[in-house]
Amino acid sequence: MTNFDTSNMESPLHHRVAHTNAANAGVVMKEDKFRGQLNLRGNPQDVAFTSAVESVLGVALPMAPSSSARNGDTVVYWLCPNEWLLIVASGTQGQVEADLRTAMEGQHIAVTDISSGQTLVNLSGTGVAELMQKSTVYDCHESNFPVGKVVQTTFAKTGTTMCKLEDGSFDLVIRRSFSDYFFLWLQDASDEYGLSVS
Amino acid sequence: MHHIYCPYCEEMREEEEYSYTGEAHIERPKDPAAISDEAWANYIFFRSNPRGIHHEMWYHAAGCRRYFNATRDTQSYKVHETYKMGEMPSITAQTLAVANLSEKGGAS
Ligand SMILES: [Zn+2]
Repeated sequence: MTNFDTSNMESPLHHRVAHTNAANAGVVMKEDKFRGQLNLRGNPQDVAFTSAVESVLGVALPMAPSSSARNGDTVVYWLCPNEWLLIVASGTQGQVEADLRTAMEGQHIAVTDISSGQTLVNLSGTGVAELMQKSTVYDCHESNFPVGKVVQTTFAKTGTTMCKLEDGSFDLVIRRSFSDYFFLWLQDASDEYGLSVS
Repeated sequence: MHHIYCPYCEEMREEEEYSYTGEAHIERPKDPAAISDEAWANYIFFRSNPRGIHHEMWYHAAGCRRYFNATRDTQSYKVHETYKMGEMPSITAQTLAVANLSEKGGAS
């Protein structure tokens, strides 16, 4: 009986094997772990609402479609005319939520802590532009996707909320339940550029 | 690639981000108990299903997750316009027919 040749086989966890070309990685993925994420809804025409939020976050809510605002570790994404995503420093979401509720006492609003449902991933590197081209239907060229713009679209058919940063990299908010799928796609799509994960 | 304008995101987005959710401008009867079974069945089940201009709802599922309205030609799939919930279409089968007539008149 001859020995079973395993040299061309893929084990069940084949896809988890680290990349051999990670040293010259054209795509760098960095998970910004455990950032606090709050979904905020309210009436953008109500000054009591907008000023209460601004007093807590230290930055005005972005009102233009697909825009964002930043104040240190606090990032605010426009999601739709009456809905925003607040990304805050890890561990502070409970306090931010409590402060928002106090400031908006009696108002018709909603604040939901969704930190455990999604995660923030940063994609950078010389190959990232091409990676985005084959991963999303959205035109990520800088003429269409300038710094600070926020776009909710699909990434490899799963949903994502992405923002372009000043250094040319992309912040992607992805769902926890799709994170493994996202990573497998990323690993495959980055193969030709090399992938480094930190 | 087929791009559709989202009136809330205020830009063209790929069709993949959207889903179609049926005929628009169907009003729920104010007092269902007061109307006949036939009228109720018409409200629940029956749709106009026209060949040509159709006003319908779309959902920006992968985007802003808002419903909006679209005026679409069911024959050519051409989307003539999109507009927010609560608004009325500016393009209808009638306005298009009038426009086509005046175009023909101008050409002869
Ligand atoms: Zn939209």
